[in-house]
Amino acid sequence: MATKLRVLGPLQDYVGGRKELDIEPGHTVRDTLVSLGILPEAVALVSVNEELQAKDYIIQEGDTIRIMAVIGGG
Amino acid sequence: MNGYGGQILRVNLTTGKIIKEKTSPEVARDFVGGRGFGAYYLFKEVPKGADSLGPENKLIISTGPLSGLMIPGAGKCDWTTKSPLTGGYASASLGGHFTAEMKYAGLDTIILEGISPKPVYLFIDDNKIELRDASDLWGKGTFEVEKQFKDKLGEEFQIAVIGPGGENLVTFASINHDYGRQAGRGGVGAVMGSKKVKAIVVHGTKSVAVADLKTYREAGMALYKACKEAEGLKEWTRYGTTIVTSWCNEVGALPTRNFSAGSFELGDNISGKTMREKIVITDKGCFGCPCPCGKYSRSKKHNLEVEGPEYETIGLLGSNLGIGDIDDVAKGNLLCDDLGIDTISAGGVVGWAMECTEKGILSKKDTDGIELKFGNAEAAFKFFEKIAHREGFGDLLAEGVRRAASEVGKGSEKFAIHIKGMEQSAYATHAATAMLLSYMTCDVGAHHNRSWAITYDLQVGREKVVPEKVARVIWLQNFRPMFDVLGGCRLQWVELSIDRDLYVPALEAITGIKRTWEDLEKVGERIWNLTRMYWARENEGFDRVWDMPPSRFYEEPPKTGATKDMITKLDDVQRLLDIYYEQRGWSNEGLPAPETLDRLGITTLVA
Repeated sequence: MATKLRVLGPLQDYVGGRKELDIEPGHTVRDTLVSLGILPEAVALVSVNEELQAKDYIIQEGDTIRIMAVIGGG
Repeated sequence: MNGYGGQILRVNLTTGKIIKEKTSPEVARDFVGGRGFGAYYLFKEVPKGADSLGPENKLIISTGPLSGLMIPGAGKCDWTTKSPLTGGYASASLGGHFTAEMKYAGLDTIILEGISPKPVYLFIDDNKIELRDASDLWGKGTFEVEKQFKDKLGEEFQIAVIGPGGENLVTFASINHDYGRQAGRGGVGAVMGSKKVKAIVVHGTKSVAVADLKTYREAGMALYKACKEAEGLKEWTRYGTTIVTSWCNEVGALPTRNFSAGSFELGDNISGKTMREKIVITDKGCFGCPCPCGKYSRSKKHNLEVEGPEYETIGLLGSNLGIGDIDDVAKGNLLCDDLGIDTISAGGVVGWAMECTEKGILSKKDTDGIELKFGNAEAAFKFFEKIAHREGFGDLLAEGVRRAASEVGKGSEKFAIHIKGMEQSAYATHAATAMLLSYMTCDVGAHHNRSWAITYDLQVGREKVVPEKVARVIWLQNFRPMFDVLGGCRLQWVELSIDRDLYVPALEAITGIKRTWEDLEKVGERIWNLTRMYWARENEGFDRVWDMPPSRFYEEPPKTGATKDMITKLDDVQRLLDIYYEQRGWSNEGLPAPETLDRLGITTLVA
């Protein structure tokens, strides 16, 4: 079962414009971001299977993770 | 005029005379609508030096060409006036369903002028427009009054109402609508209260002419399709603006204990995730919105239901007061909405008073026997009531943090967190130079909605002071407020990354006038410069000092959290302004140069 990272908006600049990457389970989201060259602080939202999660979440096989940068606040 | 209701409703409260005028095609060409109309009529009609709470000031309510039409989020209107909080330009945006009914009543603008001899409400049902006695409503909370109108007139009538805060001229009084939506900032509610107008109730059934019906439908549907297919729609709808709370805490942007830090040790207790799991019962959206950000909550702890809290309220009534319980934030939210006071400014003034207590500047004796310490939610609740009713020490807090600190003195001015008199909204800016500049130069005071640049800071380097950052802030300030001009909501673009070019054919099909985003940004720049000239006109000696942030953001690095020991240097603050003024075409003191005014076509208007 594929484990995927969907990259939204300007965060795509960190990964050569790619929108989706295959990732390895068993690591935290934060470590995965660092290994991909994405600044963790620039990621405002981590959603795992459409639920908000912290960057310390350990990625499970089959997860679909979405990361977003642009959030407007209010 | 395609896309417009076609009429201005002018209500003279002193004489009771109500007249209709035609919307000016020339003003619509140059200022488009909404916030643009508000800025134009404020500058043109309210005389220099007018008392913000006197008969010469006006409250100008304007829809835009998108308002009430089949465009995602097209339910916004703008409330413009001279601010009793700042003494400058005030403009507050209202969502919900009021705007659409106003447009369907054929109204682009309502201008309230003068002062009524007794409490009234403005009743609008298409062409039946009357001032009616509101003596029996005066003194009541916003929820009770709205419910009374709904029960009496039916659900189709939309209500905008002030609470005791507006009646008692609290300088940051808000206007409440739809039980949980506000025209919140700058004291627009106090101006309505000064005119003795308790409420505006509106219902309309007229159609709005559009230039090209087929293209309008296609372009509108393309926008809805883009929203519905946007990745992130589910998350956004589930959490709304609270989605950002945890991230702000992580990066040191969450206002904590009167902005002394940007990370809160109890942040997880007030996060979007906690709120959704603990108190949210459903979602609530505005007119025509496919991605409702409103969350409706039930607190078992306090036995209440409230729309919210949204992020700004969580920041100011939660972490900024040292309160780490989402149920308590929900109660503070409910109280402020019902009393008709802005949650952001309320959290700003109470946070300042709590810090004064912590530092020994204020004692229980000064604060009516109540211990105003950080984390004391019950004390905060009591002071929201006292502010709205101007009781005891609440009377001073009702004047806003700038005047309260000036009165109390003893060094408390240094931690009065405001710019131009407006309490700062919910982003701590010790180490985020683009966001800091956004607040410094915002046209209403320290508010975030014109230029929200905090993620940009993180992406390009939070401490950097470079021309590219300043250019980004200026672009946002020219572009983002155009949604308030058009009468729509920016959040579809901001949160769902909807391609902004999708709005262009829709606007053209509605109005019959072709405008690119470049054209619209020029309108935004025109309005920005006009409001700057308004500040200068109304405030003797207006100069770059007015753009300076609280010294906390360049002198006091946080002692804890993600931004521990981080601070922007004073030299960098000044450099930000130097670059900003140069890029804007303004003088070194922050005033638009004659050639800038000329380029924007407002030389005659401001002369």
